[in-house]
Amino acid sequence: MTDSIKTPFFFVGALFSLLVFVLPAAICNAQDEALTDEQVTFFETKIRPVLVRECYSCHSAQTGQSRGGLQVDTRDGFLVGGDSGPAFEPGEAEGSILMSALEYDEWAMPPSKQLSANVIEDFRTWIEMGAPDPRIITRAERDYGAATVTADDIREAKTQWAYSQPVQVPPPAVQNSAWTRSPIDNFVLAELEQEAISPATDAEPYDLVRRLSYDLTGLPPSQDQVDWFLNAYESDPDRAVAIVVDGLLKSERFGERWARHWLDVARYAESTGREVNATFPHAWRYRDYVIDAFNNDKPYDEFIREQIAGDLLPAEDDETWAEHLVATGFLAMGPKSLNEQNARQFILDQVDEQIDVSTRVILGISVACARCHDHKFDPVPQEDYYAMAGIFLSTSTHYGTIDSQQNRRPSNLLRLPDEDPDPYLKQMTSAEIRELRQEFDEVRESAANAARERRLEQRRGADTRTVNQLRQQENRLGAQAAILEQIVNSYDQDGNPLSFVMAVQDRDQAINARLLVRGELDQPSDEIDRGVVQVIGDRQRIRGDRNSGRKELAEWMTDEENPLTARVMVNRVWKHLFGNGIVRTTENFGSTGEPPTHPELLDYLAVEFMEHDWSVKELIRAICTSHVYRQSTAFNENAFERDPENRLLWRRTPSRLDAEAMRDSMLFASGQIEMERPRGSIVTRAGQTIVRDGNLSSGIEVFQLLRESGSETMDVREAFRQRARQQGAAGMRQLRDRLQFEIDDSSLNYRSVYLPVIRDNIPIALEAFDFAEPTMVVGVRGSTNSPSQALFMMNDEFVIRQSNEMAKAILFENHNLNDRLNAVMRRIYSRDATESELEAMTRFYNTVDSQVTNSRQRTPEREKISAICQAVFASADFRFLN
Amino acid sequence: MNLQNLLPSRRQMLRTVSSGFGYLAFSSLATLAASREARAYSNLFSQDESNNPLAPRSPHFGAKAKRVIFLCMRGAPSHIDTFDYKPQLTRDNGKEGRRRGKLLGSPWSFSQHGESGLWISELFPEVAGMADDLCLIRSMNTDQPVHARAQTQMHTGNAQFVRPSLGAWTLYGLGTENDSMPGFVALNPPAGTEQNYGNSFLPAIYQGTKVGRQQSRSTGSRSAQDRRSALPNISNPNMTRDQQRRQLDLIQDLNRQRLNDDPNHPEIEGVIESYELAFRMQSEMPRLMDISGETEDTLDLYGIGQNPTDAFGRQCLMARRFVESGVRFVEVTAGNWDHHANLSTRLPQSCSEVDKPIAGLLTDLKQRGMLEDTLVVWAGEFGRTPDAQGGDGRDHNNKGYTSWMAGGGVKGGFSYGATDEHGYEAVENGCHIHDWHATILHLMGLDHERLTYRYAGRDFRLTDVHGNIATDIIA
Repeated sequence: MTDSIKTPFFFVGALFSLLVFVLPAAICNAQDEALTDEQVTFFETKIRPVLVRECYSCHSAQTGQSRGGLQVDTRDGFLVGGDSGPAFEPGEAEGSILMSALEYDEWAMPPSKQLSANVIEDFRTWIEMGAPDPRIITRAERDYGAATVTADDIREAKTQWAYSQPVQVPPPAVQNSAWTRSPIDNFVLAELEQEAISPATDAEPYDLVRRLSYDLTGLPPSQDQVDWFLNAYESDPDRAVAIVVDGLLKSERFGERWARHWLDVARYAESTGREVNATFPHAWRYRDYVIDAFNNDKPYDEFIREQIAGDLLPAEDDETWAEHLVATGFLAMGPKSLNEQNARQFILDQVDEQIDVSTRVILGISVACARCHDHKFDPVPQEDYYAMAGIFLSTSTHYGTIDSQQNRRPSNLLRLPDEDPDPYLKQMTSAEIRELRQEFDEVRESAANAARERRLEQRRGADTRTVNQLRQQENRLGAQAAILEQIVNSYDQDGNPLSFVMAVQDRDQAINARLLVRGELDQPSDEIDRGVVQVIGDRQRIRGDRNSGRKELAEWMTDEENPLTARVMVNRVWKHLFGNGIVRTTENFGSTGEPPTHPELLDYLAVEFMEHDWSVKELIRAICTSHVYRQSTAFNENAFERDPENRLLWRRTPSRLDAEAMRDSMLFASGQIEMERPRGSIVTRAGQTIVRDGNLSSGIEVFQLLRESGSETMDVREAFRQRARQQGAAGMRQLRDRLQFEIDDSSLNYRSVYLPVIRDNIPIALEAFDFAEPTMVVGVRGSTNSPSQALFMMNDEFVIRQSNEMAKAILFENHNLNDRLNAVMRRIYSRDATESELEAMTRFYNTVDSQVTNSRQRTPEREKISAICQAVFASADFRFLN
Repeated sequence: MNLQNLLPSRRQMLRTVSSGFGYLAFSSLATLAASREARAYSNLFSQDESNNPLAPRSPHFGAKAKRVIFLCMRGAPSHIDTFDYKPQLTRDNGKEGRRRGKLLGSPWSFSQHGESGLWISELFPEVAGMADDLCLIRSMNTDQPVHARAQTQMHTGNAQFVRPSLGAWTLYGLGTENDSMPGFVALNPPAGTEQNYGNSFLPAIYQGTKVGRQQSRSTGSRSAQDRRSALPNISNPNMTRDQQRRQLDLIQDLNRQRLNDDPNHPEIEGVIESYELAFRMQSEMPRLMDISGETEDTLDLYGIGQNPTDAFGRQCLMARRFVESGVRFVEVTAGNWDHHANLSTRLPQSCSEVDKPIAGLLTDLKQRGMLEDTLVVWAGEFGRTPDAQGGDGRDHNNKGYTSWMAGGGVKGGFSYGATDEHGYEAVENGCHIHDWHATILHLMGLDHERLTYRYAGRDFRLTDVHGNIATDIIA
């Protein structure tokens, strides 16, 4: 920590208001007109030499330094400024940070020696002139590298399948027309018949009902459901399937399952990840929004518009407006490097992430590839990237994060218009909150004073020890202020808890981005009008300086003439129901992706999807009631020889349960599962804090503990020791429970979608089983067999706990060994054990050393049955679905 | 271990196990169709003969290095006080520096060592004794001037996006040789650095397995720490080994029944193998981590049981034990190199903690004949400024610093590249982090331009579009 001139309180004034903080609005204060010779000469003779000589060594990309977050080797560098805000507003020298620093007022730059009065006057003149700055690269000077995308390339690309509108052709005729149940079947069967491959036989009804239940809800069917289905299927298979599909789609478990698929691509997480892993305690609102959207079958186009531009959509009431704001959390919850020194770099990286996630998730193309240069293989020139960048640069992103010393890039959150307070905040009295506010003001002021004093001392050349002492004091006060701030900002004046949301807003002033040569900050070139990618539709330019263009972007994305949006979602749904997409590269419909295996089917479904009001449930219903979906996984050597990857769908591709379905199924079998949706998650309870060493602890609780103990320091360890002296081990335990939240809490019994998703600290139960890496867009999860999975199943507390609970119930309900062993299989698979399974289990039961170590109420019977339950959970059968 | 009165099925199982990683080793079941299907399933690896993603693979070309020990010096050690001798800096001591402070000549003396006569400072007396094995790269440079991001770039080539780490790429390229151990082990990685040994878009099997995370000093409850530290779930809290073996037999019995019903399901064989590997790991991992069988001499060599070398000595010894057992890539971390202040006391302290263990590791590898095919790499994320910070400290410097390698086909007693007269920036044979990666892969027999993985529609490399091999350092 050497170099920060950080003022951690800069944001305080603007925090938690509905207004946008001012800082980056000036990110690209236009300098449209060509510079006059006079202006250029002034800059080149009076300004540039001083910058190079006096400033670049600490504030330029060239030297890799950005002290205090500031780089001054481009005009934008000044305008975005550093940790303390913009260096100046063009035309307004008075009161600017730059002038204050040059004049050795509050800041003192350059630190070694004050510049001469003449030079300072030159800078004042320059700013008053509007800060004309020729340090940009003209179009002619740009180095495009080898690949360039020309207008011709784009015109030609518009004729490729992905960029032409889907067209519905009549379902092809098939020879075996008796086999078909829906036009979907015609498309698939026609291809198979052409290859002279016959489709697989129908799945066993038992396998089919399990498949439906897992695919639609992520849970196994109950014994009753299985029994009913087997019966109904016998008399009328189509009707039985239709009824089951209908029932599952109505179940609230459906949304919990399908929301998770969306959260995978939306890289949903409850912390920033990266170097300073700060929590997002309000991210869960987005999670619940997605679950509700799937359960309520919100039309997909609306779902997308809300996530890209919910804040700009009309809302008839506060509740709707609140929902729309929550939806825009999609843009706010990307991973962030909160210790990025350079403010401009941070914003551009955030914009890049927003472009990347929205184009790959919604359009199935990658625009972010074009940040640095054109790619020959994709019809997205660099200009298109910067056209979109302008849209997101004109947008402010509100993600919160605790304003602590390590966090160089905190942001504010938005108030939720519809009160729905954090369930973990206690009501306070108005007197209490008044007192806290006062305390906060005091601490903040002392911290600011400490910072000022430290700067003064540093300037006077004080010795390291003095400076360090002052810095420590500053840090301690800063930490206190950060927590106090969080508390007081969470309440209104009367002590009522408030509700906040991660979301985006348009900035007051919309701006265009400058194209950056090779994506480098210090290589700015032309300003690019805001707009969308040219290859889709007619190019739209967004005009006006009040309008970011996000609404237009959302409308363009969900326009029925956009060739990609419907296809991409239809393909995702298909992927989750068949294991592979019709386009297997679900995020890449471009020329480097795989072509569709059934292009006409893809288009048929896309058009149907749009015609049925973008209803995801109708789409799923149509697919699940098709005959293709009902195929068995039976292996067919002949078909395999011709089509080893099952692209033609000659059978059902065997699938495996994902992490959530496995954990939920264990809870289901043990009878411990809690279906009620928890409020928030443990991250919500912990509040805004930083996750260290895999530990999540509540800053507010720590602070309160320190107050209770009357401690002067912010040293938690010291407070713990004090508490231990006072109250002994029991007090310590109590304290831990209060302060510390276990990311791997194996006693949580709710569905896995509600487990905390802290970047780089995913619960083991999910992490071990190919959970979607939440820093990335994951349309297709990995599928590995790793020893950590085996270790989890053999040794983890959660698995042992479920096995024990299940054994307890089985022993209570059944009285002879055969019944008990059958009960194991019934609870897990809703079927009796087979002869050979019974044999294997009995053999284990009779030969395993029954001596129980460490037993109190646990009997050998229970231990053995429990071990058998665990073995069945661990077996391949539990993981693989037919 | 109670492996008597085996069921016939178990004997069959053990035969499979003894044949190593063969996912398809159930010969009776390995029909042509099934194996071809297996390949289709794991099309990620379709270019390989083997279907097992961890099976040892031939490198792109012959190379000496078979395994890597990466000694990661977190916090950025000062190059000009250790391995980059700058007499002119000493002469210019006190003059105005290029940045804000005055030039600070190294307070420590340098002398020549070994037959090669490499200049090394008195802070590394033991390592200096191995001078003729060292290949110093004195022209390192990187893009990032801040720790975490530079660490990320050093590990993954890229600080901006999440990318696979060097170890993951190596494992992806070469597979591993011990079927009872993970192929890439990160010893005591600091919390929050998961990305630095992560697999990113590579299959998860190539992720580094973290072992013995640095003891958390937080107030977390014991159970939470246990579950997230060392290796999670490496032992069963209730069952004896024999009980667990029998339970595993039941699991495998059920698995085989399933496989019998559906012989064309190679993933089930994958499950069967992963359970056996996990079961082997349960004994292999603690065995490798138990150093009680090492001789006094060996322990002394690493400075184990002595102050202040004990902690790092143990890690170095562990690293040797792991690579000796066939682990492909082991990373060891030593922290606290960030000497902005109190350089005169803290740098000697940091050096004394690692000097003897590192020399011990090199000696031990040499004695065992392993140094020639083990590449030992020593590096921080960047270096430090020749000008002083606050009189007795040095600031970050990413423009020029020193790393070194030993063994594994590099020239011993060799110095490559140079910084300017004061040590600000690399001026001769610059070795950017991409070049460094290209060179390490090359030493392992991997062509950094051919070691690619297709993700999001394009072929990714560790070195992106960069990387020049420092051919001069290859023996």
